Parts: sequence; structure tokens; C-alpha cells
Amino acid sequence: MRNISARAAMTRWTGFFGFWLLLIGLDPVDLAAGLFAAAAATWTSLHLLPPSGGRLRYAALAQLALRFGQESIMGGMDVARRALSVRLPLRPGFVVYPVRLHPGPTCNAFTTLTSMMPGTLPAGVDDHGALLYHCLDVEQPVAAQLAIDEGLLIRALGETHDDT
Amino acid sequence: MSLVLNIFTIIAVLAGTFFFLAGTVGLLRFPDTLTRLHALTKADNLGLGLVVMGLLPQAEWPFDVIKLIAIWLFTLLAGATVGQLMAQAARRGQPTP
Repeated sequence: MRNISARAAMTRWTGFFGFWLLLIGLDPVDLAAGLFAAAAATWTSLHLLPPSGGRLRYAALAQLALRFGQESIMGGMDVARRALSVRLPLRPGFVVYPVRLHPGPTCNAFTTLTSMMPGTLPAGVDDHGALLYHCLDVEQPVAAQLAIDEGLLIRALGETHDDT
Repeated sequence: MSLVLNIFTIIAVLAGTFFFLAGTVGLLRFPDTLTRLHALTKADNLGLGLVVMGLLPQAEWPFDVIKLIAIWLFTLLAGATVGQLMAQAARRGQPTP
């Protein structure tokens, strides 16, 4: 676990510092602030999102990113069509989605991801721990789409989950 | 080549502003807080994506290009995170389905 933490800290620090360099540039005067900012960001990220032993699967991650891109375009167009239609075609309501992911960072990543998908907006959990989604049109196959997204995320992150 | 890129920029930025306009119309026309959040989180994300895509050919490689993409990704992340927090707050007081 200590090895995982040290490696994760090094990887994250490198990522944060690299990102700092991209944003601020290579001016030596700014480097000290960058080193400190990257260290502070690493410390914060390790506390908020402790490293896990799971490994990213890049093929599934690429598939998820592609689907996310397509769905973002569909989502924007869908809202634009409804907003600009004279009839204002909305059938708003809630859909309960019994999520397979355990509560925690991965589940939060799932709700954040699906927050950008067409027609769905995560709005908390119900009394049984299932996710509540507010939908613009409850007649759309929302739960089926969410199941596809969740399956891809589970594969991408190499997560374990409950099938029951 | 520069003319083609300029035309691409104009088309993509115009398309982006169209989605910002549509999101704002949704904000004004949709009936309640939750439906309005859909308008903001979905249409504006696509609008900003198109504006950023349109500006990429005009930006200096690599720093400005990466900055533009980073701005877009951070806005996406912030919108998705704040959107669901606001949805949770708006749902409080409503009956659980």
C-alpha cells in the first residue's frame, strides 16, 4: 500500500507540475511557485481521492471518451431542440437507477459523467441507495443508457461491483 | 489554407453561440429549476466545445491550444459537478419518487 501511495504521489505530482508548466510557461521565476502548487495539489488529491490498486484499461477508457463525445453532442442538440420548439416538448420526471457501483469516488465519477449525458441529471439518492435521475423526457430509455455508461466505466477503471 | 481555417473558425464559433443562445432560451422557457439545469449543463457545454474548437486553429501551438482545451475540460467538469449539487439541493423538499 505504501508503494502504491508513493508511486501515485509521484505520478500525480508529475502530472500537476507538467500541467502547471503548460499553463504558466517555462519562466524560471515561476518555477518555485509551480513546485509548491504541484505539491499542494498532490497532497489535496491524495486526501480527497486515495489511490486504489485498480488499473486503467485504456481501450475501454477510449470507448467511454468516444461515447461521451457523441452523447455530449446529442445532449446539447436535444436540449436546443426542446428549448426552441414552439410546443416545448418536455415530459420531466425522475427515474430511479439502481447503481451497481459502490458509493465512493467511482460512483461520483459515474454521476459526474452521466450529468453531461443527454436528458439526465443526477439528483441524489433515494432511501434504498439507488441513484435518482431527473429527466427531461421520462419516456426515453434512460436506464438502458445509464447501464451502458456504467458498464463502460466499470471496464475502464477495472472496478469490482455487485451483480446482484 | 488560412482562409479555410478562418471560415472553419467562423462557422464553429457561430454554431457554438447558437447553442449558448438555445441554452439561454431553455433557461428562460423551461418550467422549473431542474429542467433549467438541463438547459445550462447540456447546451452550454456543447456551445463552449464548438467555440473552443473554432478558436483552436487561431491559437498558438502548443501552449495556447492546450490552455483552450484545458479551459473547456475544466468548465465541463465544473458544470457537471455543480449541476448535480444544485439538482440535489433543488430536489430537497420535493417528494421522493
